[in-house]
Amino acid sequence: MFDRPTQGEARQLIEAQGLRFEPDYDDLAGLYEGGRLVACGARAGYVLKMVAIEPSHQGTDALGELVTALIRSGLAAGHDSLFLFTRPETAPAFQHLNFRLLASHGGAALLEHGPGLEAYLAAQAPKVVPGRNGAVVINGNPFTRGHLHLVEQAAREVDRLCLFVVREDRSVFPFEARLRLAAEATAHLANVTVLDTSRYAVSAGTFPAYFLKRLDQAAEAQIQLDLRLFAQHLAPAFHLACRFVGQEPLCPATAAYNRAMAEVMAEYGIQWRELPRLAAGGAPISASRVRRLLADCDFSTLGSLVPPVTLDYLQSAAGQAIAARIRTRMEDS
Amino acid sequence: MQIRRKASAGTMQSSDLMVVVEPAAALEIHIDSTVKKQFEQLIREQILRTLDQLQVSSGRIQVSDRGALDYAIAARIETAITRASEV
Repeated sequence: MFDRPTQGEARQLIEAQGLRFEPDYDDLAGLYEGGRLVACGARAGYVLKMVAIEPSHQGTDALGELVTALIRSGLAAGHDSLFLFTRPETAPAFQHLNFRLLASHGGAALLEHGPGLEAYLAAQAPKVVPGRNGAVVINGNPFTRGHLHLVEQAAREVDRLCLFVVREDRSVFPFEARLRLAAEATAHLANVTVLDTSRYAVSAGTFPAYFLKRLDQAAEAQIQLDLRLFAQHLAPAFHLACRFVGQEPLCPATAAYNRAMAEVMAEYGIQWRELPRLAAGGAPISASRVRRLLADCDFSTLGSLVPPVTLDYLQSAAGQAIAARIRTRMEDS
Repeated sequence: MQIRRKASAGTMQSSDLMVVVEPAAALEIHIDSTVKKQFEQLIREQILRTLDQLQVSSGRIQVSDRGALDYAIAARIETAITRASEV
C-alpha cells in the first residue's frame, strides 16, 4: 500500500540503508506492508533521491512499486522525465525499470527515466551542423565582454561554435534573459549557435549528496558527472571536437573544475583549450565583478565590462530589480 | 477519441507498463522497454493497433514497459486515452 510517510519514518529507513537524509524535497513516497514502511524515496523537482528499500524487500518488486509512485508524483508536477542520482552499484536495479545511465564515475551515477535526453537532442537536431565544432558552456550571469572575447577567439578555431547557456535557474539573472543576452551579443558571429543546455549541465544546485560517504565529495562527484555527460552525450550529438574555457585566476572552485575538464575531455578524445581572460581596469572581467558594480549602479565602469546589449538590460527596469536583489543578498551575507 | 489533455495509466511493476499521453499535432510514440531490443517493433504495432481501434490519430504517446503482454499494453493505452479524452 502506498502512502506518504512522515519525515521521521522516512529518515529512519533511509539512514538504516547508510544514506543521508536530506530534508529538501517536494514529495515523499512510501510503500507499506502490514502498517510498516518497507520502501521509500523522495522527489525534489525533477530529481529522485533517497530511494531506500528494507533488506527483506530487496530483490522483490518493491522498487517497481515505489518508482511508480515517484513517477506519478513527477507527472503531477509536470515532469515527464526524471533524474536519479545514486551509487553506481545500485544503477542496474534502476536500469531494469527503464532508467538510462547518463554518466557514472567513482561513487556517483546519474540515470534518467523518460524521453528526456533523447527528446532534447531531437529538438536540437535542426541546429546541428556537421564539421569540426567547438563548445563553450556558460552561465552568463550576466553576459560580459569576457564571455564575448572567449566566444570570438574560440569561434575562429572551429567550423561552428556551440555556445551553451546553462538553464538551471539558481542565478540572479533569469535563464531567459541570460540566453537572450548571449544570443544578441554574439549575433554578429556567423558561426556561433546559442543553445539551451536544458537539464544536461549538472549543476551543484540539483546535485544531491545523500548517497556519498562524505559531504566534501559532493563537488567533485557533481563536476565529474557534468563533464562525463557532456563528453558522452552532448559532444557526439553536436559534433564537438573541442571544448573551450576561459582561464580562471580568481575562483579556486572554477579553477578545479577547469583542471577536471582538461582530464575528462582528454579521456574522451576531445580537445581542451584554455584561453586567456580579457581584463579591464587592471583586473580580469568576471560576471561576479559585474554584479558587484551593478549593485552600486556604476554604469560608467560597467560599460567597459559588458557589451551594449547587456548594458541596456542592466539599465532597464528588469536590470534595476536585479540590482536591488543583489544588494539585499549582500546585506544578508 | 481525441487526446485533449495529459493523462497516464499503468505501473512500473514487472509485466506491466506505464503510459503517458498528451496532445500533439502529429502522432509521436516513444518506447522505453526492458525488452526493447527484441520486442520494440511488436510493442509499437500493438500500440498502433489500439490507437487505430480508438480512432486516435495524433498525440504524444510515451511508454515505459517492463515486458507487458499485448492485452496489458492495449488495456493501459485505452485507459490513458480514455482519461485524456475527458474534458
